[in-house]
Amino acid sequence: MVSPVKMCAFILVLALLEAWALYTVRLSPARWYSAMIVKDEPQARALYDAMTKAMRESKSLSYTAVSSGPDGRATIYDIFLRKPHAWRTEVSNHLTERTTILVGKSGTLWIYWSGNRSVWQIDTADSHQKTRSNAYIEKCISVAGCSIRSEIASLGMTWSNLILDPSLFHGNPDPYAAFIDGIRSQGTEAVGRDVCDVIEISFMKAQRTRYIWLSRQDHLPRKIKEINRLADSHVTVVQWSDVKLNPRIPPALLTWSPPETSKRWHLSPPEASLLKHGQAAPEFTLRSINGGAISLSDYRGSIVWLYIWQAGSPLCRKQMPHLQSLYESYRDKGAVILGLNATDSKRIAKGLLKDNGITFPIILDSSTTAEKIIAEYCGSRTSEVPVSYIIDEHANVVDAWFGFEEQYDRVAAALRVAGARIER
Amino acid sequence: MRAYELIKETFFRRTYIWVVHLVWLALYGMYWWLFLPDLADWGRFVLIWGGLLLALALSAGIFGDDIASGRICVLATKPFWSGYLYIYRMVGLSLQAAVHLLLAGCLIIVLQSLTRRVNMNGLALWLLASWLLFNACAALSTSLSVVVERAFNSLVILFFAVTGYVIVALLASELRGQSEPPMLQEIIRYACPPFELLQKFAGGEHGQYSLTFGRFSTTKAAACIVHALVLTIAYSTIGIVLLCRRDFSRVRD
Repeated sequence: MVSPVKMCAFILVLALLEAWALYTVRLSPARWYSAMIVKDEPQARALYDAMTKAMRESKSLSYTAVSSGPDGRATIYDIFLRKPHAWRTEVSNHLTERTTILVGKSGTLWIYWSGNRSVWQIDTADSHQKTRSNAYIEKCISVAGCSIRSEIASLGMTWSNLILDPSLFHGNPDPYAAFIDGIRSQGTEAVGRDVCDVIEISFMKAQRTRYIWLSRQDHLPRKIKEINRLADSHVTVVQWSDVKLNPRIPPALLTWSPPETSKRWHLSPPEASLLKHGQAAPEFTLRSINGGAISLSDYRGSIVWLYIWQAGSPLCRKQMPHLQSLYESYRDKGAVILGLNATDSKRIAKGLLKDNGITFPIILDSSTTAEKIIAEYCGSRTSEVPVSYIIDEHANVVDAWFGFEEQYDRVAAALRVAGARIER
Repeated sequence: MRAYELIKETFFRRTYIWVVHLVWLALYGMYWWLFLPDLADWGRFVLIWGGLLLALALSAGIFGDDIASGRICVLATKPFWSGYLYIYRMVGLSLQAAVHLLLAGCLIIVLQSLTRRVNMNGLALWLLASWLLFNACAALSTSLSVVVERAFNSLVILFFAVTGYVIVALLASELRGQSEPPMLQEIIRYACPPFELLQKFAGGEHGQYSLTFGRFSTTKAAACIVHALVLTIAYSTIGIVLLCRRDFSRVRD
């Protein structure tokens, strides 16, 4: 038998070890949150600017980016960029060896693939059956402002992303640049054979943090890591390799014409995935950000502008300051704004609402029930925000759309159709 | 010598033990061929099948059978402390799992060399995580079998343990969406077998995918291992205390 003294000592050691382990492992936002909002350091800012300049001033650029997260399969992007507006991206999953190719040139984007493609997020059972092989997509894109990252993301072919939009090369702004809290240095580290300066950038009061390993040789990234702080934090790591500044890119790579036997897949517009005018708005009961529950039926008899948003979306951030004044002006005219957020942590969502003085009711619920509701409202495009629904007094959809327009004409028109007393 | 005999007996406790191991290894192979996983998927599969379900299959009712059959009186005769019996049984189970997981690792390497389907980085971490989870689950199940002592209770314990895990998993999934983690969620995360933490540990979430700068967090990885071991010891201590409090007669239950 073990003596009681030894037993007590043993339990004490175990308790201490466990306390240390829990302290180390436990996710405690309070411990890191304020420290994550980075203050600007001029030297680190200069490194970031040097990266942007290197991308913008080169005539051509090619690299391979391998993007992966702890829960996602690695996706390989072979990227070729040439000024003024030509680009090619080959997207493949290293397991399946299927490749999807996107070629953008002079306002046209072609998307085609080898063999049978996998099911994309935008697919219906029918569309996949008809277009999985021997098909292509042709789209008109903005010559100057096409975001390669967004074009790839909008197909929903992979969960991983490039983090840094290759369109920076073509002079497009980084949509997150306006929300940088600060940039600081994290020293140097080698990535492969490259000695890199590491910078840390926080965005939107640390809703998002990026670490970029910048090669001292050409100031371009060799590795990028992004932490996206939602209800659960998501981490993505992108490794850059085979980086070539001003390489000669064969012209044949940057153009494409569909073979005669190949059929064109006409993509439905994004709003086709939303509920249509006259359809019943799905009922829900979800958690309010201030505690308790909010149901759509609580607003029966009122006109509801259901606004689906995320704190990490630059568009939602841009729109937030206007929403409170719209809420106040519409409130007396029979319409209310109801915010619905199914992705964010309470701390970050509350911070954003407080900064913008938001007082209208907000649902913050990232349960599976909320995810299902979002899927009912947004179809396959659950990650695209903001989404607006105007719902009439009888809980029928009047209008629905993605994004926002500066003048709010569509909102006002839809609210009038729904019966709100809004002047023209 | 007695320790060695007990460990060996635990190792070969049942005649069908080889069938369990072979079925489990065959399942790993089937998963490989049917689902073409990458390592993260595959690692999680080993964690569930090898770390969780194998532990339940091997340890369920281990003392319940001994007590019900009266064998416990032969094994736990004075001056032999009953706690040793528990410890050697656990060591036997743990060794059995280590051998099983090493075989699983060999199987993965062979399959990988034949098919070149996955990246093998992190395999050792997944096997280590599976072994740690096995120990925690085996300790919990073994302690439970001290209490549930009817003969042929193995399947009963296995059934209830699996049901319990499913309920806990569903609860964890539902609670995941709540912005402020309630006490129940904390209990599930830290007091139940550390499936979530070990998955993060082996999946590299405390390394490249950590929530801070990109260097591997050795401290967090070590903390996960310590937490898993402390839980195993805590579950075992409960079982040992319960076992030592019992008086075993030579009369069959």
